[in-house]
Amino acid sequence: MDIKRILPLGVLSVLLLVLAVLFFVGGAEKPPALAPVPVPDDAGEDSAEPPQTRTITLFFLSDEDNLLHPEEREIYTHELTVFEAKQAIEELVRGSSSGAVASIPPGTRLREMYIIQDGVAYVDFSRELKDNHGSGTAAETATVFAIVNTLTYNFESIKRVSILIGGNERETLNGHIDLTRPLLPRLDLIAK
Amino acid sequence: MSSDAGSIPAASKSSHTNERNVVKYIVRSLMVLFVLLCQLAPTAASRFQEEPFLKLSVEDFADYGRVTVTSNHPLRSSIEKNGIYLLVRIRADQPFRIRRGSFRSRFIESVGWTQGVDFYVLNIKVQMSDFTHASTNLTRPHRLVIDVLPEGADPRPKAGQEAAEGAATIPKKETGARTTERAAPRTETPAAIPTQSLAQGTRTIIIDPGHGGLEVGAEGQNGTLEKDITLSLSLKLKAIIERNLAYRVVLTRDRDVDVPLERRAAIANNEQAFLFVSIHANGFPGSKARGAETYFLNLNATDEEARRLAYMENNSTELDQVQGDAEDDIKMILWDMAQANFLKQSSEMAELIQSELNTLRDTRNRGVKQAPFKVLTGVACPAVLVEVAFISNPDEERKLLTDDFQAAVAQAIYTGLAKFIRQYARD
Ligand SMILES: [Zn+2]
Repeated sequence: MDIKRILPLGVLSVLLLVLAVLFFVGGAEKPPALAPVPVPDDAGEDSAEPPQTRTITLFFLSDEDNLLHPEEREIYTHELTVFEAKQAIEELVRGSSSGAVASIPPGTRLREMYIIQDGVAYVDFSRELKDNHGSGTAAETATVFAIVNTLTYNFESIKRVSILIGGNERETLNGHIDLTRPLLPRLDLIAK
Repeated sequence: MSSDAGSIPAASKSSHTNERNVVKYIVRSLMVLFVLLCQLAPTAASRFQEEPFLKLSVEDFADYGRVTVTSNHPLRSSIEKNGIYLLVRIRADQPFRIRRGSFRSRFIESVGWTQGVDFYVLNIKVQMSDFTHASTNLTRPHRLVIDVLPEGADPRPKAGQEAAEGAATIPKKETGARTTERAAPRTETPAAIPTQSLAQGTRTIIIDPGHGGLEVGAEGQNGTLEKDITLSLSLKLKAIIERNLAYRVVLTRDRDVDVPLERRAAIANNEQAFLFVSIHANGFPGSKARGAETYFLNLNATDEEARRLAYMENNSTELDQVQGDAEDDIKMILWDMAQANFLKQSSEMAELIQSELNTLRDTRNRGVKQAPFKVLTGVACPAVLVEVAFISNPDEERKLLTDDFQAAVAQAIYTGLAKFIRQYARD
């Protein structure tokens, strides 16, 4: 009997307590840290089917005109853009199959990649991207925009690209192009 | 349940009082809890909701100037002296709101903020080249106090030294006491101070020799470093400008040292520069690439963003406020995208310099280009970056090392600049 009458009061007080605590502490909660949020691709393939491939365009360099030269490559399709985009960058890192000048310096690895909802792709390279880079404005521009253009050209959901090195944001690769803001593609650097 | 109902008459009274006691107890505990939470709330709220800020004020005492940065967050900082500048780097895990305080000083010419990825740099420009400084980090509120003392002008060097040490060691209460005590002499006639302030109206051209120190830039096949070529060229260009024009020339570095990119822009803005020219030598894989190209900034913005930026810049920008502010106010600029305001003039300057470079013998014209150069974004005046030749091309590397070619390149850049000045000064 006691318990029966007191119980609702107890429950009420606990509820009030929880509400009070939420009221005062709730505002203190920080927004969740930036986490990889893969953007789903519009082509939702059934994963049980045999792997399908699609053709993408990579950009390599030429020491004749110092522009970006397209080269086609096959990658496996995936319902998540980020998995396709990773393959594209890995192919770019692997280099040209037709003897064009590499756009990524030797020894560089793709460490991680993620795409956030507003269409910014974060591509994290190993430090060789900077250390093994020959430097100079023309070289730096070519490397940076080979990466940016490869991603934005092939994946509609990627609008801008942010290049990280060793997990960190860097001001520039070697003193020229600003890497602190996600970069827009530069189609004018592609050879006609 | 049914057995409970049967026992009502016997237990009723005592159960009733018990129940009331429990209710009283619960209500009282809730009240206590509520009061406790109310007391906790302001600190919790201020800790989490108050926007992080950095507030800057500058004031003078009898024989020294004091810069105080106040914040609601702990300040982790380092100070470096560079010529007439003190560069205070403050680490920032989140963006701070920059607030202005009072500015009145005979010792400090100007102060300005530059924002980096995870830090802010406070550039303090001191009126005299011979000075010492002392700093201390205090709490409640968090503040960084930097005292600037003229070295030669102090009639009582020991007192000056004591002031500096005082700032660095005296606990906050005493510092406060001394502050009020010393506030009075502020209105007195200042002692003779060897100022190096500019002749009024003299305009400043900034030459920025690319790279420096550990940042060697591009490297030629025979080991020539971009940083050495850019410095040598910049010194030649400085000499030609000073010989021919009534402009003051300031180099962002005059020897082989590291100078962060934001600092180069900050130097230009602190000098209220008229023009900014960054000198570089180019590089590309292989040895074939050759020629000269001149850049101005690409905003890396969509058309829509560029329109918005232009609107902001043309209406109520920090820059406008700075120009319109009373002298008392701190000259403070968030220089993040200052160059957005000068793209048209910058492109004109680039065209004029490039056409002069095209007249050089055996130099291939690569034209005027745009790229999002870090060094240019924060510069609040017409600004270009000149790539004079390819150090990665062995022929051009050899040329870049000769005095003749360097002199010809410097002369070409000067001619382009002079043409631009004639045009720009007329506007
Ligand atoms: Zn350079």
